[in-house]
Amino acid sequence: MELSESVQRGLRSLAEPSTFDQSSYGVLVDVSFRSLLSAKAEPGVLDQPELKQIDQILLKQSHTAATTFILEAVKHNADKSAISSCLEELAFSAERIEIFYSTHQKHKKELERLLASIGRCPPRINDASWRLQYHVKNDQVDKVNEPFYLISLNTENEGSEEDINFTCTVEQLQDLVGKLKDAAKSVEKASQM
Amino acid sequence: MLLVLSEDHKEHLSFLPKVDSAVVGEFGRIALEFLRRGTSPKIYEGAARKLSVPVETVQHGVEGLMFLMTESSKHMISEVDFLDSVLVLGFGEELNQILLQLYLQHHAQIRSILSQLPSNLPAYHNLEWRLDVQLASRPLRQQVVPTMTMRLLLADGADGGRSSRVLQTDPSSLLHLISTLEAALAAMKTSHARRIFRNIK
Repeated sequence: MELSESVQRGLRSLAEPSTFDQSSYGVLVDVSFRSLLSAKAEPGVLDQPELKQIDQILLKQSHTAATTFILEAVKHNADKSAISSCLEELAFSAERIEIFYSTHQKHKKELERLLASIGRCPPRINDASWRLQYHVKNDQVDKVNEPFYLISLNTENEGSEEDINFTCTVEQLQDLVGKLKDAAKSVEKASQM
Repeated sequence: MLLVLSEDHKEHLSFLPKVDSAVVGEFGRIALEFLRRGTSPKIYEGAARKLSVPVETVQHGVEGLMFLMTESSKHMISEVDFLDSVLVLGFGEELNQILLQLYLQHHAQIRSILSQLPSNLPAYHNLEWRLDVQLASRPLRQQVVPTMTMRLLLADGADGGRSSRVLQTDPSSLLHLISTLEAALAAMKTSHARRIFRNIK
């Protein structure tokens, strides 16, 4: 994992027992994970009693460095040896590495989910609703007498929902369902490979 | 059922018995082209010059003929009813037969053209799909996420304009989608639906 100069510096101060004693180290590690996972940015996140004695600028630098490091580790799915060797190089004691790693393991899945949800992708289909109607006549043509479907696909894109509405005849719906079933079969085959 | 023709309509059509049958046939062709592709003033001018009548007369004759054809096709009236409706115009037997032939030959086509008119909702055209596995994104590497990417093609409106939407879904939503739409297809086969189809004709 490549870390920038400022991140390395921030982490080195975090490793320093003279800057961060045992309890404040633990608190900062916890706070760093929590600030990544909370839905809203809390301005008072560093206002912990254990962190009051530390120079506030150093504190912020270490907090930033820690959160950056956490994200990089999750992003690259770093295993224990990768994290350990990285922190060892920055003069972290074995004990501190262990504390960091166990907190990392606790929150890893949730962080992964968070990162996976960032980014653009086409709207996702969540649901479909349908109506079967019988077309009797319209103003242009009399005696139509045909059944037809009104399909509504409920899609979601980055939090906003949209409905895609369209009509189809019985044959067209059969075609659509046939194609979807082909797709499902290909997923099943792929999962058995 | 009988067609009821308005006075204006009858007046427009009164031009037809004054020309010979070949011309009526020609007007019929122009009327159908009008339905298919629209018309241009040149066609009317050309015909008007050849027949030495004002352009307006030709135009009304063609439009009247077209309206007669579309109304008859819309209501799917029978041969007998068509002849009875046309009787009111007081044309000769030959002209009536020409009009009837025009109707019988083209009413299916006219109906299909008319049925393309009133579409205000997009209609399904096709679905293309693709199975992808997402391996990485900018914020997260080393992923294994199976994704079904689809392109839904819809035909929008009478002009046949195609719109396409790119959509995605995951395997479990896909299965849910399939079962929902299969239930929709099953609704066609219920006795309730069959009863309606049988009785509304």
